[in-house]
Amino acid sequence: MTTAPHCVTDEIFLNMGPQHPSTHGVLRLMLNLDGERVMHVEPDIGFLHSSMEKVAESLDYRQFLPYADRFDYLNGMGNELAYVRAVEGLLGIEPTLRCQYIRVIMAEMNRIASHLVYYGTIGMDTGATTPFLYCFRERERVIELLENACGQRLLYHYFRIGGLRNDLPRDFCTKLRAFLHDFPPRIKEYEALLTKNVIFRHRTEGVGYLDPAVARGYGVTGPMLRGSGVDNDLRRADPYYIYPELEFDVPVLPEGDVMARHLVRQEEMRQSVRILHQCLDKLPAGEINVKVPRRLKAEPGESYARVEGPRGEIGCYVIADGTDHPYRLHWRAPSFYNLQALPAMCGNAYVADLIAILGSVDITLGDVDR
Amino acid sequence: MRQRPDHNPLHLLGLICEGIWSLLVGLYITGLNFVRPGVCERYPRRDGRPDYQPQPGYRGDFALIGDPERPGGLRCIACLQCANVCPDKCIHIVPTGAGKERHPAQFLIDAGLCQYCWMCVEICPVAAITMTPDYETSTDKPTRLIRDLEHLQARGRDLPEVLRVETEGCAAEAE
Amino acid sequence: MEILKLIDNWLRGAMTTWFTGHVPLIFVDILAWIVATVVILLFVSLLALILIYLERKVAAYIQGRIGPERVGPWGLLQTVMDALKLLEKEDIVPAAADHLLHTVAPVAFFMISVLGYLVIPWEETVTIAKFVDLNVGLLYLLAISSLAVIGVLMGGWGSNNKWSLLGAMRGAAQMISYEVPMLLALICVVLQAGSLSLGVIVDQQKAMGLLTWNLWHPWLWLPLIIYLVCATAEVNRVPFDIPAAESELVAGFHTEYSGMKFAFFFLAEYANLFMVGMLFATLFLGGWASPFGYPDPLHIPGVLWLLFKAMLVVIFMMWVSWTLPRLRVDQLMSLAWKLLIPASFLSLVVVSIVMLYR
Repeated sequence: MTTAPHCVTDEIFLNMGPQHPSTHGVLRLMLNLDGERVMHVEPDIGFLHSSMEKVAESLDYRQFLPYADRFDYLNGMGNELAYVRAVEGLLGIEPTLRCQYIRVIMAEMNRIASHLVYYGTIGMDTGATTPFLYCFRERERVIELLENACGQRLLYHYFRIGGLRNDLPRDFCTKLRAFLHDFPPRIKEYEALLTKNVIFRHRTEGVGYLDPAVARGYGVTGPMLRGSGVDNDLRRADPYYIYPELEFDVPVLPEGDVMARHLVRQEEMRQSVRILHQCLDKLPAGEINVKVPRRLKAEPGESYARVEGPRGEIGCYVIADGTDHPYRLHWRAPSFYNLQALPAMCGNAYVADLIAILGSVDITLGDVDR
Repeated sequence: MRQRPDHNPLHLLGLICEGIWSLLVGLYITGLNFVRPGVCERYPRRDGRPDYQPQPGYRGDFALIGDPERPGGLRCIACLQCANVCPDKCIHIVPTGAGKERHPAQFLIDAGLCQYCWMCVEICPVAAITMTPDYETSTDKPTRLIRDLEHLQARGRDLPEVLRVETEGCAAEAE
Repeated sequence: MEILKLIDNWLRGAMTTWFTGHVPLIFVDILAWIVATVVILLFVSLLALILIYLERKVAAYIQGRIGPERVGPWGLLQTVMDALKLLEKEDIVPAAADHLLHTVAPVAFFMISVLGYLVIPWEETVTIAKFVDLNVGLLYLLAISSLAVIGVLMGGWGSNNKWSLLGAMRGAAQMISYEVPMLLALICVVLQAGSLSLGVIVDQQKAMGLLTWNLWHPWLWLPLIIYLVCATAEVNRVPFDIPAAESELVAGFHTEYSGMKFAFFFLAEYANLFMVGMLFATLFLGGWASPFGYPDPLHIPGVLWLLFKAMLVVIFMMWVSWTLPRLRVDQLMSLAWKLLIPASFLSLVVVSIVMLYR
């Protein structure tokens, strides 16, 4: 910026949040602005800290399960999956095949629901209010199916160690198929309304570039990493359950900007639909639960399980000390790591870009602060 | 790195066409949704429509299932398993009687602490406690969220069994 | 606006019989002006309330919602209730705010938006400003609408809030930039009509109703689009709502306003919006003239035609604004300076040539 020599300009310090419409919760961004340009941005987190890792140490392995939903409240099933896999690894339990299928179905449905929230909020962040409500309309159908299966809309507590709360409800598969039939045309609709809109493209293309090396350095995972051209999807890279048997593509785009991340997520919704179709076709009959002792006591040891959530790698690290509760539990929350890359993406951005970039990180504050 | 779109005059012409096209497409889609039936549920005033029903098996407010043949008119044997398994420790039971006569003299659930995780229902050896689809639990006073024996008993009087969702497994058994 | 004429006539008649010889005639004039002002203020406020209701309903249906439906039949009284609520709310002035500017800004913004209504021809030979018979109506209108930026700046600066300041700066830059292509686009219409008087512009279109509207002149299509784009930017609507971009600047220049002051900003925004609709109807859709020929075979008062046409334009603008995302500041500027201004110059040349050889 050039100014006349006699003119003294100064940067403004601006607190964006913790109460701000677009910080997706209680996130505070400390901004230094030069006019509309963001010179420096520093995320200040911790407003939603609930010390859940500490809570885990005072509860037994089963009791902590409902808390796992509450890390990333838009992706309850994915969190449960990570926790259940970690504890089952600790205890050496292998779930039945039907249980694995149902778990994958639930996780993929939750991925669709979570990406729909992203899709709506990125529209809100760039000023288009309408896609938000369309996305929530479709999300409502997913949520209703999940509610039908486990009795709650967000905090499911559906998985159990060694199995599931209950089998799939009657007509679940028919309803899910009906949704899968209706959903792809709706994605097309959103694509025409938002993704292909010339204003949205100009708002997002070339904005918030994240270098692949920087992304790896920050531990960024999920759609953000794949939007930067790194082919890393745990469903492929470190497959678990039945994923090796399923056919799906992992969208990877090299551009590394907001639009690339947006397109990755949009494509992932389509791929999730593909996965769900295959799961429903292959769903085997049989038991869903394996027998586990009533009182779970793990031998001293440790276990780390990671799954691919909608925001990236959800990791759960459990250390057992021979009692019925974890000695220590660590949660690798994808939103937390992804958010750290925010300053790296905001070079030379406008305030409006910052909002779009933050939207494209797709954080859940419950996940960031834990 | 993708370059920001440039604004030289030749490209601008293409941009105008693109802009008009995406405006028309957008108007078409929003117009289409204008005439599509809405999906909103009216709440809390239903204006004569039937009350909103959550999906079957919804985990809502609590009830204790009644059994006229047992003391206290409850199935509950006050074994305290639910109180112990509860992750939030929101169940408080005062047992009375001994042996087969054991039943709760008081049964308190703090629904404000509860996270509706279903563990108490799962662990109950006599299937005495259940969650109902009652979703309207909000009040203006936190103490009103504490459910006492009277409330739980009244809600559960007509419930024959724990409310579960019908699963495919049930269907197979029925056949 | 027959009513205005009636009121005016009645007042003058009554006053002169009551006070003959006691008061100079100037007082009668002043009283008539005051009554006219009150009527127009009421009209604009009522209109804004209706528009807010309409906007909420249009937005709701577009988004698959229901919209207001509780207060009054079909929720018609919702906005009235909202206005009453704002009226009784506490008026908060931040401690560090410039008290005077903070208070004056909404009033200025609202008054400026109302002033435009004076020169619109409501009916044949009737404008509210008939007392001063303005033959440069369009010029006056443009002058007035460019004043609106003062209200925005005063509000933004006087609030002593960084969000407000950013919003006000954005608003000032935007309104001033879009003033230029709008003016140039409107000059094309003036060339077509040969007059700056809005009444004359309508007179030129009324002869055969629908067929003689300015809308059908191909050389006016480019100015028409430019005007519509600029007007959308002038009234700060999506995709040009960056001064009050709620996802970026909380509420932009009116972040610190509450109660009736906020209501003034809100009402003024909708008054401006309807002003755009009326001006568009006047310039391109034959204003008060019936679309079925002159004189109107249906005998519908011209003012109703004008309101109807303006309402259609406004609904279209609402439809657009609930469809599109928002532009960024620099894109907004480059759109105005690099695209709209050259395009408006081009259309000026084209229209001039067409007028020369017609």
